[in-house]
Amino acid sequence: MKYLSAARAGMIGCHACGHVQVCDGSARGAQRAASPGHRQRCGRCAATLHRRQPDSITRTWALLIAAAILYIPANLLPVLHTTSLFGNEDDTIMSGVVYFWVSGDWPLAVIVFVASILVPMLKLSVLALLAWTTQRRSRWRPLERTQLYRIVERIGRWSMLDVFVVTLTVALVRFKSLAVITAGWGALAFACVVVLTMMAALQFDPRLIWDCADERSPHAFPREPKHD
Amino acid sequence: MTSPQGPSPSSNGGPPQGPELPPDLPPDLPEPIATPRSGWLPSLVWLVPLVAALVGIALVAKSVIDRGPTITISFSTAEGLEPGKTKVKYKDVDIGSVKTIRLSRDHTRVLVSVQLTKEADDFAVEDTRFWIVRPRIGTSGVTGLGTLLSGAYIGVDAGRSHESQSDFVGLEKPPAVTGDQKGRRFSLHGASLGSIDIGSPVYYRRVQVGQVVGFALDRDGTGVSIDVFVDSPYDQYVGLDSRWWHASGVDLRLDSSGLKLNTQSLATVIIGGLAFQSPPGEAIGPEAPDDTVFRLAGNEGDAMRAPDGPPLTVVMNFNQSLRGLSVGATVDFRGIELGEVTAIGVQYDPKARNFTMPVTMNLYPDRLGRRFRESVEQGGEAAGKQLLRTLVAHGLRGQLRTGNLLTNQLYIALDLFPKAAPVAIDVGRSPLELPTVPNTLEELQVQVADIARKLDQIPFDQISKNLNGTLQSANSLFKQLDTQLAPQARDTLAAAERTFGAAQSTLQQDSPLQSDMHQALTQLTQTLQTLNALADYLERHPESLLRGKNKDPKQP
Amino acid sequence: MKGSARCPRCGALLYRPSAVQLERITALTLAALFTFLIAQAFPIVELDVNGATSQTTLIGALVALWNEGMELVAIAVFCSTILFPLIELTALLYVLVPVRAGVVPPHFNLVLRAIQFVRPWGMIEVLMLGILVTIVKMTSLAHVIPEAALFAFGALTLMLAVVVLFDPRALWDIADEIGARRCAGLPGERRGAPPAAGPGAQAR
Repeated sequence: MKYLSAARAGMIGCHACGHVQVCDGSARGAQRAASPGHRQRCGRCAATLHRRQPDSITRTWALLIAAAILYIPANLLPVLHTTSLFGNEDDTIMSGVVYFWVSGDWPLAVIVFVASILVPMLKLSVLALLAWTTQRRSRWRPLERTQLYRIVERIGRWSMLDVFVVTLTVALVRFKSLAVITAGWGALAFACVVVLTMMAALQFDPRLIWDCADERSPHAFPREPKHD
Repeated sequence: MTSPQGPSPSSNGGPPQGPELPPDLPPDLPEPIATPRSGWLPSLVWLVPLVAALVGIALVAKSVIDRGPTITISFSTAEGLEPGKTKVKYKDVDIGSVKTIRLSRDHTRVLVSVQLTKEADDFAVEDTRFWIVRPRIGTSGVTGLGTLLSGAYIGVDAGRSHESQSDFVGLEKPPAVTGDQKGRRFSLHGASLGSIDIGSPVYYRRVQVGQVVGFALDRDGTGVSIDVFVDSPYDQYVGLDSRWWHASGVDLRLDSSGLKLNTQSLATVIIGGLAFQSPPGEAIGPEAPDDTVFRLAGNEGDAMRAPDGPPLTVVMNFNQSLRGLSVGATVDFRGIELGEVTAIGVQYDPKARNFTMPVTMNLYPDRLGRRFRESVEQGGEAAGKQLLRTLVAHGLRGQLRTGNLLTNQLYIALDLFPKAAPVAIDVGRSPLELPTVPNTLEELQVQVADIARKLDQIPFDQISKNLNGTLQSANSLFKQLDTQLAPQARDTLAAAERTFGAAQSTLQQDSPLQSDMHQALTQLTQTLQTLNALADYLERHPESLLRGKNKDPKQP
Repeated sequence: MKGSARCPRCGALLYRPSAVQLERITALTLAALFTFLIAQAFPIVELDVNGATSQTTLIGALVALWNEGMELVAIAVFCSTILFPLIELTALLYVLVPVRAGVVPPHFNLVLRAIQFVRPWGMIEVLMLGILVTIVKMTSLAHVIPEAALFAFGALTLMLAVVVLFDPRALWDIADEIGARRCAGLPGERRGAPPAAGPGAQAR
């Protein structure tokens, strides 16, 4: 079986509405020559058409690096300050997991560990791997890489769990004399990490994986000479 | 929310159809993999939004219906209150919560708006009272400690009125007595507040049975009204005849009857208290109803005294120094306190040209006993005056006596002096004037003063001059004697010796002269013995100088 | 077509049949909107520690965060749990109801693109899990009393799981059809399944 991607066929599928149309500046769309700076718009929904997401790798890297930088304070700074009759306590994400584990709440400890530590690390490393391999035009296991991407994109949002737990805890434990809990800067850093990694995943165009694979794959249709 | 994998070709699958489709697509494009699925029932799904809407409406309706009235309570401070969180509790049940807290327009009070629950809407009536329960230290102890952990709340005392009200003024302290406490309130009227405060205990036989709930100065400023609350079942011991007194602090008195120290309990020493009891020997009598007014005495003795009846104002004129007599000194009749001195004055009598000291006093003839009172009452005022006249004729006089040798305080004693000079009194005058007799000590003083005066009159210096001259002449006489009289004297002595021999024989035998002398000596011994006994007796009973021997009708 | 279609090379989901069940989606979106309003208006849980109580709504929690100085976190949580889901639900209703009736509403494109933009960022189900984790965490401290919003969020999560299965891009095809029908002068049909070009249909 030979696979044809729309880019090779000189066509673009609109990312917004899904309408497939001829790409300006390709062999098929030669009647509408692409001029530099001209942005083709979808015939149905008027969204700007891109064959691939613009600057996908660059943007992904930028967002990933920012997220990685913020990941350090997210884990070092406390997310919760507890002021109680027994004194003051600061809790980081890791210490929260340890507390759950030690007090016997194994399911909670596992959930929080997976959501707040495992998932962000996974996202950072997988996205970095994908960006790296795509940048290097590697042909290594494209299917698995695409599946990885899909997994990472889907589970990314679940790291926000800790931020929600902090929000609710801060709002509930406000007993003036017994205990008062306030949020720490680690929560803000962590929220930023989650948002940045989600944006990085959205920016990464997984079709790029297959573009490189197509270069030398016997399964791909011969590539059309590009005119852009 | 999962989104499908990235941008993908049109949902139609396969090569698209449309105006822009290229005609020369290779014919063997791969087909998408189709997996068929079974469909679902669509129309029942409209139940879901219906149910959601109904649930929402039901919740909103329930919260609106559950809302009771909104009331506003004004406090002086909002310490401990949190909008949205602080609850209003009655008997530890939540009946409402604080919604908002804001300042009054003139910034003097804090207005707390409270939302009551539906069941509690009968709390929004006129005489409901609200206060903030916080940790407090007061005369009745430390209260509200639980709020340190659970946060302050607003306490309620349910009112029983039927008029609804929505603006309340909050109390700053929890009320001493809440509306549902059983017992009775009484009002006491006294001369001063003493050391009483709200919360001071009320004792019955040294058991605390109630507390003071309020006090106020009388409108005309002549006394203090104190409200007390006696818990049930002790309120049955308050009879119409019960006597109330200040049991506060330490009762220390130093007066003509000596030193007296009296306290109720250590608590009353610190915070003061009141006590009540029926007079000894009397039954409690019918129970006093709510709001009975009682008189509040200063101490137990004062309270337990039988009611005095109207006082009789009497004036006594004394001719001696009144130093040691103070206003309030007792007027005593044979040991019974008959009244007290109200005023001491001085008056110049132009006819007699000397000063008299009139002492005004209040006598309470009712203290002389029931029989006396009844017999006087039977006859009316005239009988009383006649009685007085008779008594004065019998020797009823007033006399100043020393009550306390230490402090030299005086008191006035009324007593019958049968040997006193008769005096006629005018019973018509007011205030009545009673005759007086001077003090026995005074008499002694007068006599000694007399003797001193007489001694003064003796011309001692003249006597000494005469004595000097006499001695000088005696000296010259003795010189003469020595030279002239000596030989004559020798002769005389020899003759005398012969005479003495004769006399000795006369005197030796039981001559009458000897026996006379013997008798005289015996009498002298007896007299000395009597004097000795008198001295002894005086040593043991020095007051007999003043009062005489107990059974002695004569005055010393 | 009643089945779903996948790409033979990489397995990406191309088409799902539940996408076209407009009526079901409209009903569920409406229900989700009502439930969403309930979830925001009532407190989520109530804590009771020896008589001291504390409860919060989601908005109350955000206000508390804001007042503490964590404004950015409050904004992030607000967007992901209130703003974006609300935009998605109302936008969906805005396009679904007219399209069901056969009318293409104004700003159709804009609204649909807004829905697609907002979709990855709505995190109600993560919030639900967060609430559950918080409840379990609090049970050791205090007596936890569930309130109306807790159940509302649970129901909302379930409803949204179904709503999310709907691919709004199907609406474009339906809109195209409505437009085509109008151009052709035919009265618009009430319920539309997109003109299913069967698999394997070839151009010409």
